[in-house]
Amino acid sequence: MSLTELMSGANLDGYAQISLLLFLFAFALILWRVFSPRFTEQYKRDARMPLDDEHPQTPRTRGE
Amino acid sequence: MSESRSVPAGAAPAAAARLESFSYDDAIVRKFLFATILWGFVGMLIGLIVAIQLAYPEWNLAPYLTFGRLRPLHTNAVIFAFAGNAIFTGVYYSTQRLCKARMYSDGLSAAHFWGWQLIIVAAAVTLPMGFTQTKEYAELEWPIDIMIAVVWIIFAINFIGTLIKRRERHLYVALWFYLASIITVALLHIFNNLVIPAGAFKSYSIYAGVQDAFMQWWYGHNAVAFFLTTPFLGLMYYFMPKAAEGPVFSYRLSILHFWTLVFMYIWAGPHHLHYTSLPEWATTVGMLFSVMLWAPSWGGMINGLLTLRGGWHKVADDPILKFMVIALTGYGMSTFEGPMLSIKTVNSLSHYTDWTIAHVHSGALTWNGFLTFAMIYWLAPKLFQTELYSKKLMNTHFWIATVGVVLYIVSIYSAGVTQGLMWRAFDETGRLQYPDFVETVARLIPMYWVRVVGGTLYLTGVILFAYNILKTWARRPAGYVVSVIQAPALAREYVEEPLRPGIDVPASAWGRFVNLTFHRKWERAPVLFSVLTFVAVAIASLFEIIPTFLIKSNVPTIASVKPYTPLELAGRDIYIREGCVNCHSQMIRPLRFETERYGEYSKPGESVYEHPFLFGSRRIGPDLAREGGMKSNLWHLRHFQNPREVNAKSIMPAYGNLITDDLDFESIQRRVDVMAMLGVPYGEAIGRAPEMARAQARLIGADLDQTGGGPGFETKEVTALIAYMQRLGRDIQGDQGAVATKPGATPARAPAAGAQP
Repeated sequence: MSLTELMSGANLDGYAQISLLLFLFAFALILWRVFSPRFTEQYKRDARMPLDDEHPQTPRTRGE
Repeated sequence: MSESRSVPAGAAPAAAARLESFSYDDAIVRKFLFATILWGFVGMLIGLIVAIQLAYPEWNLAPYLTFGRLRPLHTNAVIFAFAGNAIFTGVYYSTQRLCKARMYSDGLSAAHFWGWQLIIVAAAVTLPMGFTQTKEYAELEWPIDIMIAVVWIIFAINFIGTLIKRRERHLYVALWFYLASIITVALLHIFNNLVIPAGAFKSYSIYAGVQDAFMQWWYGHNAVAFFLTTPFLGLMYYFMPKAAEGPVFSYRLSILHFWTLVFMYIWAGPHHLHYTSLPEWATTVGMLFSVMLWAPSWGGMINGLLTLRGGWHKVADDPILKFMVIALTGYGMSTFEGPMLSIKTVNSLSHYTDWTIAHVHSGALTWNGFLTFAMIYWLAPKLFQTELYSKKLMNTHFWIATVGVVLYIVSIYSAGVTQGLMWRAFDETGRLQYPDFVETVARLIPMYWVRVVGGTLYLTGVILFAYNILKTWARRPAGYVVSVIQAPALAREYVEEPLRPGIDVPASAWGRFVNLTFHRKWERAPVLFSVLTFVAVAIASLFEIIPTFLIKSNVPTIASVKPYTPLELAGRDIYIREGCVNCHSQMIRPLRFETERYGEYSKPGESVYEHPFLFGSRRIGPDLAREGGMKSNLWHLRHFQNPREVNAKSIMPAYGNLITDDLDFESIQRRVDVMAMLGVPYGEAIGRAPEMARAQARLIGADLDQTGGGPGFETKEVTALIAYMQRLGRDIQGDQGAVATKPGATPARAPAAGAQP
């Protein structure tokens, strides 16, 4: 059976809905991560990166 | 050349012994900056010329300077030469500073710069010569496509190499946008430009008809997304905080903006093919994702504008901020309008009209143009180490350009809506109110003149801009001061920072997962980040592309549809060379006002041998999908000679070169052979294509002679184009090859009402 025949017989009527659900799952995951309050300080520091051309904001490992 | 040294104040004493010294390569930024200005002027000048050609067709100078050949030059010049060089200017400047590292290789930077300029020059030479693949924004022929791929890979290596050797742990969000753009543009360029060469500057797409259309608009929409949107968003997230002298309003929102755009944009392409023969499910998916794009796009715009919080008073005094505010407003306007146009009912009115042109320009002139102006005005004093020549001139540029944009888009929106409404208007008896297409074009001419005025103002602004920057450059010091920066190298090992003071990241896998520490790792790993971005883009692409290519029912074949004859194929290649597709569609939508005007709607099976597809995206002239047999050979001859001789209101260029130039019959064989390689069932034409073409040309030549056209046309290019015109749309009507273009053929259809003999 060729790939074309396989795909033709796969009955992919719900394709649009599957893609939408996939997107929503990924979106929810990112939302959860981005708006978690535990990362507030990191984001504040990251946001200042363009303002300093010379000094790294997160230069080395912790404790050095 | 003098040097100044600075040591980072934040460097810990323990690490001070391991400080590395480096300097930023601003010479490459200056090169790209000048290239941006030069090509911006050239691209917009050509835009002004094609705008005049539409209002005043005598400005078309065949063969090299007709609208059909210059329009792709305009789009390529402003997208890849102007916007491209602007992107590289900003990327090379900001990446080094965000990474606290010089670019990975000065040699690769130079190769990138000179390679890109060579590509632009090659485009400027080949497009007016008629060397084109005809697919919008991907017109350049295969040797130049290979050059683009090579130069793009050089850029990618240089960029990713810089990320790898950076001294800043976190990758700022602007770098994510750059990275996504680099990866996606490479993917789009390679897959949309897969062709089989049929000569040094001639090729045929490996895809045909509906599938080719799908690939093209997957590319075309995402060329806008990943060339004109995401890299410019990266520039905005870097230069807006710089100009506003404060951090971006919400870094969280910028991350959300990034992932949602990357994931959603790639699905939206099919909205360019609503009501065409593309499967309905694909256009619905495209529409849904386009509408969803409203949210992240506006989130990004609001994030940019709110970066000015507390500093709005500066906008009144600082033209750079004025440019940025209008750029972001333009981004918001066009990203509101884009989803709206993707809704099928709206699209039925807007598609093929000037509305799309207005939409594109409202975004390009403001978002891309104004952001570029702002960035360069901000950069010039820093790169040339002197003050800007004239702030007053910068302010004048802002107002002239703003008025120019308003005149442009208001007139062309009006033109688009006017034309769309005229096409679909019926009178009280149920017949088309404007059956003669040219009426709907003639109505637009005053608006086209207003566009010319708007475009002239915008170009005048660019001239002031160039003058201001050049005068600033002239005031540069005798030698540039190169600052030497010192920073510690990144350690290979990294201990995750505590989530909150005193609370470490859980050691268990589950604990790390629910705390999403993996995302933080991605943000630090450029190669992994690149792979993940690629996966996000590729999955979305495959979800749409695979079914279109592999499900038979999506493109049902039609038994009566046959390949073009060798002469018709040669005529089709002339149609492609002259850029006829820039004004004429070949896709009748299943809408009553379309079928009343043009005939039976187009079927997917009709275009299975169309390498490349020629559906078109704009109707400055009528649709030609059912043109075959509608007019006599003589009418076509006279029309190509001088369109206004047969239709006084026509704005089509005269193609005298087709009448005088001989057709290269011998090259037809190679073209037929390549088509056969692509699966087109050419049968007896393989091996005797020139002979068959000559036989058909003699028939058309004899018909032209008998009907008063004169002798000798059987060897001319116009004969091939007439043969192609007479074939269009005939296969499903059972009268293939009528109107004396094939042996024994007789006209089977009466010419349409109003058609001239």
